[in-house]
Amino acid sequence: MSALVLALRNAPAQRVDVGSLNPTALAGLSLADIAALTLSVGKRTVRVDDLFELSGDDSSDVVFRGDCSKLERIGAGMKSGRVTIEGDAGAYVGQGLLGGDIVVKGSAGAFCGTGMKRGRIEVTGDVADFAGAAIPGEMKGMAGGLLLVGGNAGERLGDRMRRGQILVSGNAGDYCGARMIAGTIAVAGKVGAYPGYLMKRGTLILNALPAQMLPGIVDCGSHRLGFLSLLYASWKGLPGPFGALDASACTVRRYMGDMGVTGRGELLVRGG
Amino acid sequence: MSVIKLTGGRVIDPANGINDQVRDIYVKDGRIVAALADGDKVSAEYNVSGRVVMSGAIDMHTHIGGGKVNIAREMLPEDHRGDPVARTEITRSSCGYCAPGTLAAGYRYAEMGYTSCFEPAIIPMNARQAHMEMGDTPIIDTGGYAMLGSDDFLLRMLVANEDQKSINDYVAWILHSTQTLGIKVVNPGGISAFKFNQRKLDLDEQNAYYGVTPRRIIQTLTRAVHELGVPHPLHVHASNLGVAGNVDTTLATMEAAEGRPIHMTHIQFHSYGTEGDRKFSSGAARIAEAINRHKNVSADVGQVLFGQTVTASGDNMSQYRNAAFASPKKSAVMDIEMEAGCGVVPFKYKDQNFVNALQWAIGLEIFLMVDDPWRIFLTTDHPNGAPFTTYPHLIKLLTDRSFRNAMLDTINPDAKAMSNLAALEREYSLYEIAIMTRAAPARILGLTDRGHLAPGAAADIVVYTENADRERMFEKPDLVFKDGELVVRDGKVVKVVRGNTHVVKPEFDRGIEKKIEPYFRRFHSVRMNNFKISDDELCECGGGSKLIPHACGKRS
Repeated sequence: MSALVLALRNAPAQRVDVGSLNPTALAGLSLADIAALTLSVGKRTVRVDDLFELSGDDSSDVVFRGDCSKLERIGAGMKSGRVTIEGDAGAYVGQGLLGGDIVVKGSAGAFCGTGMKRGRIEVTGDVADFAGAAIPGEMKGMAGGLLLVGGNAGERLGDRMRRGQILVSGNAGDYCGARMIAGTIAVAGKVGAYPGYLMKRGTLILNALPAQMLPGIVDCGSHRLGFLSLLYASWKGLPGPFGALDASACTVRRYMGDMGVTGRGELLVRGG
Repeated sequence: MSVIKLTGGRVIDPANGINDQVRDIYVKDGRIVAALADGDKVSAEYNVSGRVVMSGAIDMHTHIGGGKVNIAREMLPEDHRGDPVARTEITRSSCGYCAPGTLAAGYRYAEMGYTSCFEPAIIPMNARQAHMEMGDTPIIDTGGYAMLGSDDFLLRMLVANEDQKSINDYVAWILHSTQTLGIKVVNPGGISAFKFNQRKLDLDEQNAYYGVTPRRIIQTLTRAVHELGVPHPLHVHASNLGVAGNVDTTLATMEAAEGRPIHMTHIQFHSYGTEGDRKFSSGAARIAEAINRHKNVSADVGQVLFGQTVTASGDNMSQYRNAAFASPKKSAVMDIEMEAGCGVVPFKYKDQNFVNALQWAIGLEIFLMVDDPWRIFLTTDHPNGAPFTTYPHLIKLLTDRSFRNAMLDTINPDAKAMSNLAALEREYSLYEIAIMTRAAPARILGLTDRGHLAPGAAADIVVYTENADRERMFEKPDLVFKDGELVVRDGKVVKVVRGNTHVVKPEFDRGIEKKIEPYFRRFHSVRMNNFKISDDELCECGGGSKLIPHACGKRS
């Protein structure tokens, strides 16, 4: 058995929803069946084999090859298996993910991991705005699982996030953790202006605060928090700086907010 | 000239007393004719022998246009994402299940054999928007009822004890200015009372600011509508919607009409008692008994069916109360200028929830216990009880007792125990369904050329293949004609036409504008002359729809 490879014949000019090409939806289909599935490109309906060159036979291990930056909803809703994107991916990678692994060996578009409940998404490059956030109209963003970002994250990282963890090795943009309901976001680099805007609960773990802070995020002093050693231990071995944290270094400066809402969210600044 | 012949169909046309008679129907230039004249050549003949022929169905209470529907659409993008409608060669793309876009609404209604639909709650200030949306709704005829009763101008008139004639003039002026077919009152005076921090207003309770009671508003407006000769009686969304024990208020509201015609809308939501352990019970028997006794009263049911929907109402007081039960957890309750308010609350009716299950049973009890199908109408108060696409399912519940009882066995057992639905043996006949979905709504709205198949009527015609499973039968008609054009074949739109707009234009004294004009200048966001919608503007914003005025026989 070898991985099912979907190699783009040409990079599409328009966005294409390829959410249906995931291990769960393809389970039990032959290569011919998969080739005959249809996708919408603009107002045209095309067969999968018009768009992709197909090879391999293991539909539980799907590989997208070529310039996939216009392919949207890659791996959406899948329950198990593995999807690899050898290059950049479009928006909504892993939307509503229920299990399995998605690896983007490049950067991902907006709303990466929106609504995911379980499973793991690893993006070696950057994620655009609204990673782990709620799409308009949804009450919750990411609701579980793990989103690993090797590069930088855009604005509104984890907007309305409800559960799960987002670990960013690089920087995060403005309004990181905005309207967060719960969950954990850790950023190794710098964060943009106003982290924790209207956050209700949840935890932001940062190395430093930005200059522009909201008045509703208040300093609660330096603490040694035992749970951090457990958290750090659980990250041990993950790619990037979070996999190699010293589990005993759990003194942080704790800020709480946003006092404009419930004020039960926390920003933990490492090194306290 | 087009001449169509429908040959050999089993015609069910209750308005003309025709029950399942085999007849040929001739249509000439969009109208039904008795026979062909010499020289007429049939341009299209349809052999419909053995199939059931009825006039186009009429939904007399469905929220398909106006501000609150748009708020519901904006609030529920997931409803639109989850239910896309692809374009075809002749239809445009649209979306939405419980708050569909205008296009999906028009296509789906037509595909179910509906040819006329009426928006029941047009806030006068929003009439232009409502007509634009309805104008954008393809195929079906539309019209609406203007909402009064909590508007500052009327309440001021009542405070000043102005005579009935002035009030009649104002009501007629509103009908003209908003291009509507009737008058609706929503939680009479209650929407205004909410603005003065009252959270409940009984029929004889005074508005804290104006001192006017709901009873007085009902009395005044039923009289105004009656005296102006508007065919449709005052369309009343009574006080205390959804409150346990509101059955007393509802019965008292019927009495408040003092024998004049009154239409009680979505009466299921107003038929609750306070018996039982949970202090929530069915008042259907008392309501049905009252409707059977009072010949001046008609009602539409507002049946609840299980699933996701969104409630959109002018009744800000009840929607404020319901916001706590929103699912998904979001809602909007707002005030609209000097005239009214609105509330939009998404809602999921669950068959295992005691209250929801009993609501379902209460609606069906009312349908089955009201004897006269000419005075009870088939609605779900779309989308408040359920989206209109559930009508075929509802028809099956009414026509098939064993199916109904099978459904009853699946709901919350405590609710089942509180309902006498299992004992009700009635099954609606096709003739009765045709009355309540065609003949009766046309009659109560004064649409003389709709809802029947006699010569002279507009050729809104539906052909069904009879099927013992009425849900299958009614969800997919074989043929639907709109004004003589074949628009639907085998349940799919084959031609898109533009519907008409139905209005009434009662006589009145234009002198009332001398009072209204300065009032607008002082209090409103627009000037009076910009508020009024002219005939030309209506047809233009309806994309060229035809205006059909219906006669009013003045009674004073």
